[in-house]
Amino acid sequence: MREFLGRYRFLLLAVILLLGTVLLYSYNLRQKTATTFFERAVLTFAAPFQSGIDDIVDAVTSTWKNYLWLVDARQRNIELGKENLELRAQLQQVEEISLQNERLRKLLAFVDELDRSALPAQVIGEDGSNWARTIIIDKGTRSGLRTGFPVVASSGVVGRVIKTAPDSSRVLLVSDASSAIAALIQRTRTRGVARGQGEDLSIEYALRDTDIQVGDLLVTSGMGGVFPKGLPLGLIESVTKDQFGLFQQVTATPTVDFSHLEEVMVIVGEDR
Amino acid sequence: MRGFFLFLFTGVLFALLQSSVLPLFFSPNWRPNLILILILYLGLSENLSRALIAGLLLGAIQDSFCGATLGLYLSVYLIIILLTRLLSDQLNVESPPLLLLLIAGGTLLQNFLVGFYLTIFAATAPVLHILLAAIPQQLMANMLSASILLTLLLRFQRLFGYRSGLAGLMYQSKLHGS
Repeated sequence: MREFLGRYRFLLLAVILLLGTVLLYSYNLRQKTATTFFERAVLTFAAPFQSGIDDIVDAVTSTWKNYLWLVDARQRNIELGKENLELRAQLQQVEEISLQNERLRKLLAFVDELDRSALPAQVIGEDGSNWARTIIIDKGTRSGLRTGFPVVASSGVVGRVIKTAPDSSRVLLVSDASSAIAALIQRTRTRGVARGQGEDLSIEYALRDTDIQVGDLLVTSGMGGVFPKGLPLGLIESVTKDQFGLFQQVTATPTVDFSHLEEVMVIVGEDR
Repeated sequence: MRGFFLFLFTGVLFALLQSSVLPLFFSPNWRPNLILILILYLGLSENLSRALIAGLLLGAIQDSFCGATLGLYLSVYLIIILLTRLLSDQLNVESPPLLLLLIAGGTLLQNFLVGFYLTIFAATAPVLHILLAAIPQQLMANMLSASILLTLLLRFQRLFGYRSGLAGLMYQSKLHGS
């Protein structure tokens, strides 16, 4: 027996360790919402460094933009002045539409599901791998965050909190391959599931006969209970209908530009 | 022991670089996996027990710094270290081009294993599409980063002297025949 163990020591060690790590991975997969002690420790340890790096980068960028790179500042100032006038005009129109919308909502007895309290947070880090799409934000359990909370930006849905530490959290982006969100096409109310594809979203289970066109807005359907209804998710990029099959193949571009994400809002409150 | 902690410290530094600094300059596909390079180097230079412990810790750190469930990179890096140990006895690891080839092989193996685990255990098949699309850029980014790191390592070796704890390259060639 001892001779056997001695001869196959390397092989036995390899098999035991491999089985151990696979079991650990499999166990943790079942405990998706739980943040392990090790993960919490690493998040807590890394947060000040990531925050510091973020501050340094901001300071360098700000110095460069505000003091060193002023070649086209005057031209840009004129353009911005014009843009400001246009935006003011547009804002007045939006306010008018908003008032009209509010009246219609009351008439139809709609509940404004987006009326929840939200917490602003800053993006301090991104994913350490090339295939997963997650970000780290500078708010955690100390600010009242919990796993599952939805995260949004001004242009739409960002993702949901998957890991929490006292002062930082990890957010799974909608573009991650393991993210799937119940969605609907705003124009036609066609339902589907928006699944992340790295950069884009694919809309699964969209019935073949339903009307979906390029440019349609994809919003959250509110099913599943994580995301409030009606938040922008993406714009339809392509629609392909095969000769056979129940569903059509639809892809969408997320409304949020994840490469330039700096501030986000975490929806923390319940429906009012 | 000092070398062991140096590996861990470098691993944490690489993880911070990968999550905070590199995203500012590179898109996800072009971001090198510095920890993988460290793991391969670890497999070639340290003894088996140290390599395994450091590799498992680095895998856990990588799991915590990316969206993976704890255990994924732990398992992937364990396999890579074991295979590197098996291969290192058959190969002339003092040759830098061969080391770069090993990096390329390691990158492909890591992508295959991550894809396999995510498809089989986590049922996230779309990740295969992301991984496959990124392989050419990943190969280039990892090999370029490995070349830069090897060059830096040789400089540091000159500064701090040639230690037997650090892998091959100049150490071997300088001492041979002396």
